[in-house]
Amino acid sequence: MLALKVNAAQKNYETLEALKKVNLEVEEGEFFGLLGPNGAGKTTLIHSIVGLCRLNSGTISVFGNDVFKNPLPAHQAIGFSPQDMNLDRFFTIYRILFYQAGFFGVARKKRKDIVEKLLHDFGLTEKASVPYYRLSGGMQKRLLIAKALVSSPKLLILDEPTAGVDVEQRHHLWEYLRKLNREGTTIILTTHYIDEAESLCSRIGIINLGEIKEMGSPQGLINKYCEKKVWIKTSRPLVYQQWAKPHFSIDREGDMLVGRGPNAGAMTEFFIQKMKEQPDTQVLDLHVERGTLEDVFLKLVGKKL
Amino acid sequence: MTNFIGFTTLIEREMYRFMRLFNQTVVPPLVTTVLYILIFGYSLGSRIHEIHGFSYIVYILPGLIQMSVINNAYANSSTSLFMSRLERSIENMLVAPLNYFYMVTSIMVGGLVRGMVVGLAVYLGSLPFVHYPMAHPVIIIFTLVLTSILFSGLGILSGLWAETWDKIAVITNFVITPFVYLGGVFYSIQMLPPFWQKVSHGNPIFYCIDLMRYGFLGVADTSPVMGLTTLAVLAFGVYGFCVYLFKKGFKIMR
Repeated sequence: MLALKVNAAQKNYETLEALKKVNLEVEEGEFFGLLGPNGAGKTTLIHSIVGLCRLNSGTISVFGNDVFKNPLPAHQAIGFSPQDMNLDRFFTIYRILFYQAGFFGVARKKRKDIVEKLLHDFGLTEKASVPYYRLSGGMQKRLLIAKALVSSPKLLILDEPTAGVDVEQRHHLWEYLRKLNREGTTIILTTHYIDEAESLCSRIGIINLGEIKEMGSPQGLINKYCEKKVWIKTSRPLVYQQWAKPHFSIDREGDMLVGRGPNAGAMTEFFIQKMKEQPDTQVLDLHVERGTLEDVFLKLVGKKL
Repeated sequence: MTNFIGFTTLIEREMYRFMRLFNQTVVPPLVTTVLYILIFGYSLGSRIHEIHGFSYIVYILPGLIQMSVINNAYANSSTSLFMSRLERSIENMLVAPLNYFYMVTSIMVGGLVRGMVVGLAVYLGSLPFVHYPMAHPVIIIFTLVLTSILFSGLGILSGLWAETWDKIAVITNFVITPFVYLGGVFYSIQMLPPFWQKVSHGNPIFYCIDLMRYGFLGVADTSPVMGLTTLAVLAFGVYGFCVYLFKKGFKIMR
């Protein structure tokens, strides 16, 4: 079943086209990442899904429920952690979570258990009775994620959840999210950390200027967009210009030869074959560069994330 | 889909918001009213003639109660909504499975309860100083509820419209307060020239005060039926308009 279906979503802010007929499908149980530079349309798309933004045209459905025509079941299924703090400064963090669970219809008795568990899971138990602005930046982010989880959502949407979170906490959070995903929660994540998307997401969409430029698994995108490089350093210079022309390019860079092409295995095989033909030459170094998601992003968007 | 727990949670949150600031929300109007009683009852009051057969302080007390109810119902809704827009905590309501009717009603109930609590506190606070009758208790209750709904609703409109705290203060200082003072808190509109009597009928606060005076003292400047009808139409009209604006996402959605 589709957890999310976005069909020709278009949103304009006066003269700015924030979303240009965006189409997106996320399967139930997927861990989907949305990557894009600032102003690409990520937050507008996410806000449209969760009910904070109205589209000019197009439809969005969550588990089959149209978020505009039939919003309540759609909202019931979603847990949303925003990019910036959106909490009430008059309430303690316990009360913030307690009320948020109530908004989602969680009964009073059950609410208490859920809130206490989440406070424990996110290391916030000792801070339960303070207002959010007394928490550190990392703790505030954890609180936002805890808030998104109070209703045990089927679809969890996280807008840059680890910005400002230290490395240890980030990895702890990754584990937590992986566990949730294994247990069946569909997760949509936007992030500025490429390694985060690569490590967590089974599929990634790259969005820029209101359009989804490409979608696929991290490795699939790397294979599609990144040239592989095989570097070889030998004890004596190889006269590659005399070799029969292979299906990839070969150049000299410094004291190394570099083969560039789509298939690293074939290139490595080729070099090994050539070395066998020259028994008096030894291989001093050989390594393969497969490209990264950052290279894919750079290629599609034209700038780094 | 009915989310009754969500609805009651919204109301509980609104109540908690003003009850935890009891010293800022309930106590000040009580102090103000006691000061009015001391000034108009003991200092100036004896120099002013009776109005409709009542001493001056007794005559103005129902209006003083209404003044507190109006200011507090308005302040509660406008502040609550404006703060939640400013801090964006309103998003927590908007992403939840709550319909717009629940959202508006809960904010309105917060204003209504604060208005009623303050009204009751002012009434009880005045009893040690002044003895006055209660001619029509049912009218008093209806008037309190309708007045609180109306001004709570106006507070919601103001909380939606305002972009800065200044604008909230502008409405309070340049609309609510003059209308309250010109609505007959301190005088009977029958004391005014005919033209200004007609103008006063265009002031909704006049009906709030006149009805309350009728409820307590049994005297009124206009027909209580007309007063209640006008107040009910205004209160539910504003309520409906608030729900409509929420549904449209006016200044709460992008």
